[in-house]
Amino acid sequence: MPAQSVWIIRLSLAWLSLATLIGSILLVHKAVDLQPAMWALLPLHFETAIWGWAVQLAMGTAYWIFPRHLVGTKRGPEKLVWWVLILFNTGLIILLAGYLHQSVLPLKLTGRGMMTFSVIIFGISMWSRVKSYSSHTN
Amino acid sequence: MPKVTRLFIKSGFIYLFLGIVMTLVAELPQVNTSALLLPVYWHMIVIGWVTQVIMGVSIWMFPRRKRSRENIESVSALLSFWTLNTGLILRFSAEPFIPLFHGNSAIVLVVVISSLLHIAAVFFYVIEIWPRVFTREKVKRKKQ
Repeated sequence: MPAQSVWIIRLSLAWLSLATLIGSILLVHKAVDLQPAMWALLPLHFETAIWGWAVQLAMGTAYWIFPRHLVGTKRGPEKLVWWVLILFNTGLIILLAGYLHQSVLPLKLTGRGMMTFSVIIFGISMWSRVKSYSSHTN
Repeated sequence: MPKVTRLFIKSGFIYLFLGIVMTLVAELPQVNTSALLLPVYWHMIVIGWVTQVIMGVSIWMFPRRKRSRENIESVSALLSFWTLNTGLILRFSAEPFIPLFHGNSAIVLVVVISSLLHIAAVFFYVIEIWPRVFTREKVKRKKQ
């Protein structure tokens, strides 16, 4: 497994743990009102579960398992995927901060922008690996 | 395919079926369940189906350092399956009734146990998967 996949998958496991913890707190809060402001955590639960866990795990696994190039670097531009990891996770953290903190800075927009940019880079670096070894054309 | 993977996937299919049936029921004009069933069928699909299939397949496909029988049918993977599914059953049997019996001690107890089981399930899953996420270079270095 390449180092990029190792760290992307480990981060996805960390996000899964956080998403589950928030979800569990919210479930208990539903039955016994813990704190009125607790519902502010609901979007954090969605974002960490969908983007942090499911999407990121799929990205890390795809980078590891998709067909490799027969010439040149096996998995394409390796440094770019480190940037995907950094931009995606920093973007997600900024997005979560945007939900929790009313700021003059457009935190949610910045976070989503970084995540979008990282997904575009990931798509470009993976595009040529969506292929079959048996086909000469694609 | 290890036994625990089969359990995760088959249980996932059951939740997918139940989830899709619930979305269908919620659409019926005679049934007004909207807010009560919404979190139930979303979690049936997202945790019951998607997450369980991811967990099952990753436990099956991710590399193992040793291929002994204990490693393939590991205790942590089985504990993850049973805690998650017990937690889900408790959750789905209590969650729709929370607004109707708010503060009821029996409902609170079931919800708290279910929440702890969800956390335990993820904990056991991470315990199972984390050591299996490694680079080939690390294994080579250890062998030398």
